[in-house]
Formats: sequence, structure tokens, C-alpha cells
Amino acid sequence: MGLLADAWHYIQENPDKFREALEIHVRLSLYALIAAILIFVPLGVMAARGGWLSRSAVNAISALRVVPSLAVLFLLYPYRRDLGDLLPMFDRSFALALIALVLLAAPPLVINTDAALRGVDSAVLESARGLGMKPAQVFVRVQLPLALPVIVAGIRTASVEIIASATLAAFIGVGGLGRFITSGLTLYDFSLLLVGAVPVTLLTLLAEGGLAAIERWLTPPATSQTAV
Amino acid sequence: MLTRRTLIKGAAVAPVAGALAVRLPSVAAQDTPIRVGSKNFPEALIIGEIYAQALEAAGFTVERSLNLGGTVVAHEALVNGDLDLYPEYTGTGLLVILEKTVADATAASGAAAATPEATPEGGFGPVDTAVYDFVKAEYEAQFGLTWLDQSPMNNTQALAVKRSFSEENGITTISQLWAYGQENELTISAPVDFEEREDGLAGLTATYGETNVSVNGVDPGIKYQALVDDDANVVLAFSTDAEIGFYDLVVLQDDGGLWPPYHVAPVVRQDTLSANAGIADALNAVAPLLTTETMISLNGLVVGDEKQEPADVARTFLTENGVVSG
Repeated sequence: MGLLADAWHYIQENPDKFREALEIHVRLSLYALIAAILIFVPLGVMAARGGWLSRSAVNAISALRVVPSLAVLFLLYPYRRDLGDLLPMFDRSFALALIALVLLAAPPLVINTDAALRGVDSAVLESARGLGMKPAQVFVRVQLPLALPVIVAGIRTASVEIIASATLAAFIGVGGLGRFITSGLTLYDFSLLLVGAVPVTLLTLLAEGGLAAIERWLTPPATSQTAV
Repeated sequence: MLTRRTLIKGAAVAPVAGALAVRLPSVAAQDTPIRVGSKNFPEALIIGEIYAQALEAAGFTVERSLNLGGTVVAHEALVNGDLDLYPEYTGTGLLVILEKTVADATAASGAAAATPEATPEGGFGPVDTAVYDFVKAEYEAQFGLTWLDQSPMNNTQALAVKRSFSEENGITTISQLWAYGQENELTISAPVDFEEREDGLAGLTATYGETNVSVNGVDPGIKYQALVDDDANVVLAFSTDAEIGFYDLVVLQDDGGLWPPYHVAPVVRQDTLSANAGIADALNAVAPLLTTETMISLNGLVVGDEKQEPADVARTFLTENGVVSG
């Protein structure tokens, strides 16, 4: 408890520093998650509807998982001037961290979306078409609602990865809660480490819990029964 | 001098020593090899090799234990008699081993605090001398170890800027940088813990006052890249970093005396020294050759694109200075 008390004391002593780090962390994670959803959920939809080419694309994106997030940051660092120009509204290092986090979120989003849409029972789609629905209607009113819980599960995984990995942004001058963790490790000051680690954990649990609730709410009663 | 320890060591190396005695009958030293250690980073390895080769040139047999772990490992090995000498920094001896401060050292010597004129070019100011005298006296009293002559090279924390920035704004000291910061923005590229540690940003503010300064906290491996790419206009350097040479940076003088001096010198067991008086002559002859500029370029040869071996860098350096014959 002594360490936690010291960590709390540090936050009280440095409220501005802490608030700034927290704000950067939340902003970075949120932007990355939104951008990743806008890019990769549609990609997953395309993959589910496409042929072998889309299958290979999904496999290639799964392969991204083996690249550690820290490696992505350091590999992209020398190119941050060009990458920063792509997102001129952000600070260069912030833009780089954002791009790395969006890439990190690709596998769970694409794979889950693809698997969710393919997983919808073909008999259900058949009967929807039998009712006279047009292909677009089948997709929007039948297939997508049934697939949504699994897609949201992918978003949940992605959000946890993003919030946790945003700590690494501290290595490239962005700040965020990771700065306390990194400083704490360097200085062997474990209460300082907790100033970063505890809020990161709480943010992760918050995102996890919130999205899990949405996922439950979206799951149709019938499917949840068969799931049990 | 035959202590119990040297007798045991002598027995252990008897076959080697016997063979050497035949081939080198006029060797200046006794038959026990001098065991030279060093810590495990490029600069330590280079200096360890320089000491070892300078001793060999003076006729000693040398046994190398380079690439030991950190300060504490090397120090313990020396105290326990597993080593005879290794290169150490005065500031490290003061802060890490003796757990004292620069104020303790200057108080002991009665020297005044650093002033802008305190460190003459290539020489030692009162603070450098006070720290050296203090660690030497304390090591002799506490550990039976002593320090040979310190080198002019100083590997301390420092702020560095691009040469163009220095020349355009006429900045060569931290005070001038701080004055520039009153009207402009200063961004220091440094490891993230610089904002938390007492001898970091807080120390700068305490010594030089408030100014318009922020820290761009990055991984140590990319701090120079952040300066080169203008994410920052100041970098926290170690003053013998090879990058200072690569990027032609200007190291600003710490005219307020925030950071302690880190001059390198051989720390030697006193019993080894009294049995082999020639050690002091050989290493004291090398000490003045190691300047900060020299060390930057020697480090550059090892960590830069050429990736030379520390032993080769040391040999070239000693040959060029006539310590060993090519």
C-alpha cells in the first residue's frame, strides 16, 4: 500500500503533468481506435465477400501480429517526417504513434469481421433472399446484425491492445501515461511506475467492460441461447 | 612484496610465469601478470585496452578481464583482489561508490563552487581537483585502493546543440542558452526520466533559473535523431558521445556547475602498485593524452559505421602517440 500511497501523492503534487499525460493517452487511443474501425471493419467486409485474393489479404494481416508494437514504432521513426505530412493536423511524433497503433489494431478487426460475416448461417441468408430481399437488404438487415456481436468482440480486443500499447508512445516523444512507467523503470522508482500503470489498467478495464456490455446488448436472444 | 594473496596467485599462474621468465628475462616487473578490468560499454573497453597495452609496452604481462558488468561489479572485483586495476570515473567513484556529493568534496578541499572561469581549457578546475583528491583519499583510507593521474577527458551529462544554432545565436554555455530561452522556445531531447530526476530538468531550473523550456522525452537510442530532425533544439548528451562528432554538435559549458566532473583514471590496488612501481609511470604517461575530443573520435571508431574492435582502436591510438612502436 505504501507504493500506491506514494503514487497518489505524486499525482496530487503534479496534477497538471498527470492530467496532460492522461489526456494524451486517451486522445491517442481513441483516435487510433476510431480510425482503425473506419478502415479495417470495411476491409473485413470486403474480405468476407471476396474470393481467394481477400483470403490472402486476411492472412497477410494476421501475419502482422508477429511484429511487436515497439518494433513498428522504431521501424517507422526515421520516416516520421513523411508520415507526419500525411496527418498535418497532428504533431509529427503523435502522428507516427497514431499510425503504429492503427496498424496494431488491424488483425483483430479484419479477422473478426471476416469470420463473423462468414459465420452467419447460410440457411438464414437463403430464407432472407426467399422473402424477396435485395442483396444489400440481406446484408444490412440480416447478415450484419447477426455478425455484429463478434465484430464488437474484435473492437474490444483492439481497444485493449491500443490502450496498452499507447504506453510505448513515451519512447518517441509523445508522452502519455507511458512516460511514468518508463521513468519509473529507469529510476527504480516503483511508485512512479504505478502512476502510469494503474490508470492504464483502469482505462483498459473500462474499455473492456463497456464494449462487453455493448456486445451483450447486441447479441440477439436466440443466438445467446444457442451460445449457452 | 609477497603477501599470502600473491603467493596463491603466483602458484596458479606458475606455468605461464615460468615460460615468460625464460623468454623475457629482463622484464621490468615481477612475474605475476597485472590483471586489468573494465566495465561493459565501448568507452570503458577502449580505455581498458589502452591501459592494458600501455602496461604491455612497459614490459608487464597483462591479463584482461574487460567487459565486466557495472560499476559495483568492477569495484568489488578490485576490492576482493580479483583485479589489479580498472578505469573509473571520478564522479562515479564519488556518487556511486562513496555515496557523497560534490559539495562534500569541495567542502573537504575548501575549494569555491564552480565559476564560469573555473575550468581552464584542457586543465582541471578547482571542482575537478577537489573531487579527484577526495575520491583518492577516501579510496586509500577505505579500500586500500588508489587513483593514478586523472585524464582531461570528462564524460559527464551535458547539453549539446547543433553548431549552426550555436553560431547563429552566440551560445556556448548553458547560461547563454537559458537567456536565449527567455525569448524563444527550448526543447530538450532526452530520455523520459530526465523530467523526473533531481539532476535533470529540476536541477537545471534550480541552477540556472526559470526559462521557456520543455522536454521531448524519447528512448535514449533516438535522442540525437530527434535533434537532427528538429523535433528539439537541444539534446541531453554524455560529453564523450560519438554522436557529438558524427553530427558536429557543440557541447555547452555547464558554467553553473550542475553536473559533477567525470574524469577517467585508473583505480589500482595499493599492494599491486607498491610491488610494481612502473605501473604508475606507464599509466600516468597515457593519462594526459585522453582528452574529451580524442575520446569522442575513439568512441566513433567503435560505435560508428567502421565498427572497429576496441583493441585495434587502442593500438592505433597508442602507436600514433608513440607509446607503443608500430
